[in-house]
Amino acid sequence: MAERKTRYDGIREHRPYTYNDLGDSNSVITEEFEKKCIKKADRTFSQGLQCQQINSLNALMSMEDSVFIAHSPQGCTGCATLGIIQYRIGQAHRGIREMKTPRLIVTNLDQKDVIMGGEKKLREAVQKAVKRYDPKIIFVFSSCASGIIGDDIDSILYDLQSETDAILVPIHCEGFKSKVCASGYDAALQAIGKYLMPKEAPKEKEKGLINLFSPASISYKDTVEMERMLERLGLHANYIPFNSSYEKIQKIVQAEASTSICKVFGDEFMKELYEEYGIPYSHTVMPIGIRNTDKWLRGVAKVFNKEEEAEEIIRQEHERVIPKLEHIKEKLRGKRVFICGGTGRSFAAAALIDDYGMKLVGIETPTYDADAQDDVEYLNSIHKDYIIDVANMQPFEQANLLQTLKPDVFIGVPTWASKLGYPTTHVLDMKRPTMGYDGILYLGEKISEQLSNPGFNKKLAAHSRLPYKASWYEDDAFKFIKKAGED
Amino acid sequence: MSVVLESPRGACVLGGIMNVISAIEGCVPIFHSGPGCTMQTAAGESNDEPISAVACPSTNMQERDVVFGAEKKLRTTIDGAIEIYDAENFFVLTGCTAGIIGEDVVSVCKDYQDRGYNVYPIETPGFAGDGLLGYEVGFRVLLDNIVEESSEKEKGLVNLFGIIPHRDPYWRGNFEELTRILKKLGLKVNTFFTEHQTLENVRRSSAAELNIIVNPYILKTASEIYEQRFNVPTLRFPGLPIGATDTTEFVRKVGEALNLDKKLVEAVIAEEEDYVYSYHAVKGNGLGWNRFAVVADPNLAVGATRFLANDYSQTPKVVIITEAMYRPEDKQRIIDRINDLEYATPPDIYFESDYFSIIEILEKYPEVSMLIGSSTEREYCSNNRIQCCALAFPLYDKMVVNKGIVGYKGSLSLVEELYNFL
Repeated sequence: MAERKTRYDGIREHRPYTYNDLGDSNSVITEEFEKKCIKKADRTFSQGLQCQQINSLNALMSMEDSVFIAHSPQGCTGCATLGIIQYRIGQAHRGIREMKTPRLIVTNLDQKDVIMGGEKKLREAVQKAVKRYDPKIIFVFSSCASGIIGDDIDSILYDLQSETDAILVPIHCEGFKSKVCASGYDAALQAIGKYLMPKEAPKEKEKGLINLFSPASISYKDTVEMERMLERLGLHANYIPFNSSYEKIQKIVQAEASTSICKVFGDEFMKELYEEYGIPYSHTVMPIGIRNTDKWLRGVAKVFNKEEEAEEIIRQEHERVIPKLEHIKEKLRGKRVFICGGTGRSFAAAALIDDYGMKLVGIETPTYDADAQDDVEYLNSIHKDYIIDVANMQPFEQANLLQTLKPDVFIGVPTWASKLGYPTTHVLDMKRPTMGYDGILYLGEKISEQLSNPGFNKKLAAHSRLPYKASWYEDDAFKFIKKAGED
Repeated sequence: MSVVLESPRGACVLGGIMNVISAIEGCVPIFHSGPGCTMQTAAGESNDEPISAVACPSTNMQERDVVFGAEKKLRTTIDGAIEIYDAENFFVLTGCTAGIIGEDVVSVCKDYQDRGYNVYPIETPGFAGDGLLGYEVGFRVLLDNIVEESSEKEKGLVNLFGIIPHRDPYWRGNFEELTRILKKLGLKVNTFFTEHQTLENVRRSSAAELNIIVNPYILKTASEIYEQRFNVPTLRFPGLPIGATDTTEFVRKVGEALNLDKKLVEAVIAEEEDYVYSYHAVKGNGLGWNRFAVVADPNLAVGATRFLANDYSQTPKVVIITEAMYRPEDKQRIIDRINDLEYATPPDIYFESDYFSIIEILEKYPEVSMLIGSSTEREYCSNNRIQCCALAFPLYDKMVVNKGIVGYKGSLSLVEELYNFL
């Protein structure tokens, strides 16, 4: 196994000028970021987040011939059900009849292990994984508990490696290491880079092969659209790590280039692939909406020197899609929108609404950094004043902002906005299209239909409420965000 | 005590505590834990309560908190929760992170209590066990902090326990059906978790004449405390009463325990049985004949096996109990109840939580054509052309709102669930 030096330590917060706790108007944030004078802050009160392990595990759970071991108490596998559901939906949509379920084993650390160490159980879990499934890869995920008690999973696996042909891959995803979900993706991809890559690059590339980094949240319809767009450029995708396999990972180095469907998924890994294997990459945006899809396609085309072809495709797609948006625009023009989403998707949604002539009044996005600033500067050129809440969900802030800003529509997870009676819609759908040019048409129909038929939310709001005091809605949504030194 | 498990069912202690606390209106759980525990517990236990997952306050402990402690963060989080939530009762849960570094949540909560706030510590950390232990811990927290002594009994008030919120995917409907039946007997029912009940119901539960625990083994300690501290005796019904046979037995047992008017009891039974059999008369036994397997928690395993064998004339072959059980007498109670069938030959019974081992057992019974299990067993069933009726936890490929599968009416819903193309 080639030991590779990693410059980035896998923790998003450790990158310069990265913020998780921030809230203000677009103009103030852009200006202060530009001047590099945003102070580090923290929320003195917050609601739950995601942990790294959730995202590391879910990023990899659709890998074939693999067993996943959570070196943790039983509870840390809770969110695995989400990965299992996605995996099963993906199979159903692909017409696969013989159902497959990811093989997940938990070492089930308990009070005794917390004192004595969990090495014995980890060895037992690995041995069981090998005996039961003879997998090609065994991923072992650390946890808060295994991290704090200091179980050295690297050494234990290194020692066990001589007993098995399966490649043992430790993933360092202790929950307390980061508040940014993308760090969990990084931990998973870094482990692939360190343990599963071939020792050297092949002499020959596979013509037209592009590594397409994708989390498992991509729907079947979205894969069809991505493949259609790539095919128009004469390219075909090697998905990593979504629905991937040991063989596909071996092929990473045969690809002519890499790209990602998400801004914060695989960006660091693609950089690494470029530095180690000379594989060029395009890191742009999530291809949702016309502007972003164009930008994504141009980015990919540029790496392959196919800019002219891309312009022709873009021209044709615009000709096909834009006229169909007219009647949607009529319904949506001027509607005021509040958006909450992950990093890639929130900014993609913000760019998308311009296709329908809608107006941004607020956006919740988990992290603010130089990449986000790029997007925001673009958004500033279209939308004048809007609020940026750098928050991973934080429904209490969202509820407050919604009641302050009173948007016409909410784009994001609808749980809370629906109880406040706002029409809701989303650009994340594990079953339906969101991406590419076909996605624009689908989302346009979806948004205009959901916006014009808000009956469920209106009636729900009349019969339910969120658990907050009335006084909270009158308060400053950002009052708990305290800059370093403040109390 | 915990063992290495494939495809574990449910979350950790915190998940089980959440099943109790979050299901009572007006209670706010506060996680003193790493950043992912709110989501992990909710997803792991299929907890959909309004204050669960990322809607819970959480200290989201980071590396520096692990090193330096996070008491200050816990205090500002409690302050914020008191400030913004429209609630009066707050429960601080201890994640692995806070538990291992030894955060003193008791002192912090005591400080708030001294200032008149209802902030209760729950010290049992995530790694102490599974969600079932958490359910017991949750009840213990209520007993030690909330339940008040009652000077006199409230006539006709009963506590209905043992159906675990979220762990029983049909818990809401199951509580509703059993509550409906008990109300017909003239009783008032505390479930704590349905009909917008609040901590007030918990507080007054000591005035109940009887605890009815519908479960073969859970809440042993809690029932002892109710008996000793509050003089509330327990009637334990060892498994979900599904269908006319077991529900009628359930109704008679409750009637005897409370010394209810026998005429009323028999009248209720007659009316309900007539209702059920008027439908069976129309539909007949639509399933034909199956040799069936059950892979489920003990409550459902007992109830479903007995219903299918006694009331629906199916043939039980194998029952696999998926919950980790530690007391031999509990296992024996379950075995005895399953073996006590009217006509059918009793099935083989196993206690096994590990998925691979469960499949190994099932493979010994190739004659099985129908399986009552969870979403986890769907793969085996679908790939072996076995009719899979997913009723057990975890149930993540099906939405259950208020449907119940217990009692008289619920048994008809269960029959509807049984039928599918395989």
